[in-house]
Amino acid sequence: MTWLLPEGAELRFEGLDQPVRILQALGGGTQGQVYAVAVGGEQLALKWYLPACISRDRGLAERLRQSISLGAPNGDFLWPLALLEASATSKPLIRHPQAGFGYLMALRPPGFIGAHLHAGGQLEISLQNVLKACFFLANGFHQLHLKGLCYKDISLGNLFLEPGSGRILICDNDNVDIDGRDPGSVLGTPGFMAPEVLLRRARPSAGSDLFSLAVLIFRLLTRHDPFRGRLELAIRCLDEPARRRLYGEEPLFIFDPDDPLNRPDPSEHAAALITWPIYPPALQALFIQTFGTGLHQPQRRSLTGQWTQALARCLDQRQRCPSCGQETFPDPAAPGSCWNCGAAQPRAAWLQLPHGRVSAAAGNELQHHHFDPLASPDLHRPLARLEAHPGDPTLLGLKNLSGEAWHGELSDGRSLLLEPGRTCNLAALQQLSTGLGPITLHR
Amino acid sequence: MAFPNVRLSNRPLHFIYLCDCSGSMAAQGKMQALNQAIRQSLPGMAEVARQNPEARVLVRAVSFADRATWHLADPTPVEQLDWRDLQAGGITAMGEALELVAGALQSPPMEERALPPVLVLISDGQPTDDFDTGLSTLMRQPWAQKAVRLAIAMGHDADLEILQQFIGPEPRGSGGRSPRRPLQASNATSLAQYIQWASTAVVGAASMPASRVAAGDGPAIGASVSANAAAAESNIPLPDLPPTLMDPIDDVGPLVW
Repeated sequence: MTWLLPEGAELRFEGLDQPVRILQALGGGTQGQVYAVAVGGEQLALKWYLPACISRDRGLAERLRQSISLGAPNGDFLWPLALLEASATSKPLIRHPQAGFGYLMALRPPGFIGAHLHAGGQLEISLQNVLKACFFLANGFHQLHLKGLCYKDISLGNLFLEPGSGRILICDNDNVDIDGRDPGSVLGTPGFMAPEVLLRRARPSAGSDLFSLAVLIFRLLTRHDPFRGRLELAIRCLDEPARRRLYGEEPLFIFDPDDPLNRPDPSEHAAALITWPIYPPALQALFIQTFGTGLHQPQRRSLTGQWTQALARCLDQRQRCPSCGQETFPDPAAPGSCWNCGAAQPRAAWLQLPHGRVSAAAGNELQHHHFDPLASPDLHRPLARLEAHPGDPTLLGLKNLSGEAWHGELSDGRSLLLEPGRTCNLAALQQLSTGLGPITLHR
Repeated sequence: MAFPNVRLSNRPLHFIYLCDCSGSMAAQGKMQALNQAIRQSLPGMAEVARQNPEARVLVRAVSFADRATWHLADPTPVEQLDWRDLQAGGITAMGEALELVAGALQSPPMEERALPPVLVLISDGQPTDDFDTGLSTLMRQPWAQKAVRLAIAMGHDADLEILQQFIGPEPRGSGGRSPRRPLQASNATSLAQYIQWASTAVVGAASMPASRVAAGDGPAIGASVSANAAAAESNIPLPDLPPTLMDPIDDVGPLVW
């Protein structure tokens, strides 16, 4: 690899008082190269563009300036912090006659892994954390779209996740623009592009983002592709024209309720057949809508707010199959059977909250939106978590993660005080009174 | 419990080196440079393979001198590959090498469903056998027509016209670097760059679609003709060539070979 910036050197940039020390080259792609740098005692990442990328994309610098001034939609984006153009004294140190430019962003913390590793089955992760990652992704796009922006090129390639928590980072934010302002040059990534963009009938927008978002959520939840079913088996060479047919000219969702022509093949597409039944009908319906009527009508695609709501509700329904121990997401009214072992699912105990109900299973969390109808769904700051007893995993407790003490009533009529950070045994609990509203246990 | 142990089904991606091992490759360390370049490129290639859930990258190599033979006959997963050194000596049976590859791209042994194969032809001279027959045998195979065909010219004695015939029609516009022209390597550094590019960026493009940009400026809505014309040039859009230190020459560093 030819590194454009010299490792170990101190470079000066226009408009930046402090010099930037190039610590280490981290990687390079078709657009640019990323370096770990030190600026005034802080370690950051610097993406430096290849000259070919700059000449192809005239609006790049202007878009970056705009994003920097608008600021990140939330903390789940590795957002550009400053645009860097080499000063006259530093230009000769850059190993290309056209010095070009780049931008600073935060370093990706260790532990965040490329989402393609999950899609490739090379990652151990719980269903709960995959659903959380999807929630954070949908919520990130919700915040981005609320700012009037669109992302244009979301795919497995610019999403990173932390398997132990489900937290995410959305990278490569350099195509972000005000929705509809400028056509820009990026079209997206085949397999994720909306049909109208793939067929060059429209440019990427918030509407096409909704399609790409649904594809990405589908790939995370199923480790399969929404359009690869039996129709793919007829394709010998999976090249550009074949992808155009599969995703643009004749796309057919593999679980289209009205047309079974493209159902998954039991041997070639086993992943889809195993994972799709895991999820509740309300969540499946959002895919059916986006990949059905929404295929050719962008205004009919499931909205980011619908995704966050359905994903948050799915997490609330999470249980453990008493027979095999797998995570299941049964409908509280009609629990059905376990997707993994087939055992009938009992109706589990649940916590009734002013605006929601959460199954009593270890790992499930109570959030602000369960208490406040005006709070938008958020999973970053849980108020309480159900935890298994360290000595006896059959015993469940509720841990108070809020800053206030809660008063509880036990089934024998006694009362208790649950201080912040403390856990109470669920077995004896009847109700907790919090400043936000009551938590009632139903058995 | 964890996410069920399932994954997206993948397809094989056959990557085949066709390496000139004629006597002239022994001069000025060219043979050693090629062996080194391929060996050094393997970790990066393995990383790309690991990152592409849709592909199963399998490597083979043909060497040609007096005869063409399989240097690495079994389609080998890149992470299991130990590169055995090629030895130089003999003339340049390039046509026979193309026929060998034609046999491998026939179905069977070629799988019914696959990703586009990648063929990389590396030569420092001109064929001494019947190149035209070899090429037409190769190009009768549908998988060869679908393949991404790249050529690297080592030094300035390589026959660029022959290499261009292997790649296919020359792109429009005169001169300039393009992946659809022979890549000229006149020293070990540029050779290593091109080998690395072919085994990482090109493998990535053939196995997993990369982000796309529109051809030309301005709104393309309704004006899709130019974009389609550009796409029609090949069934796999090729990534940019690696950036060079010295523009506009299609070379990096000093002229050695």
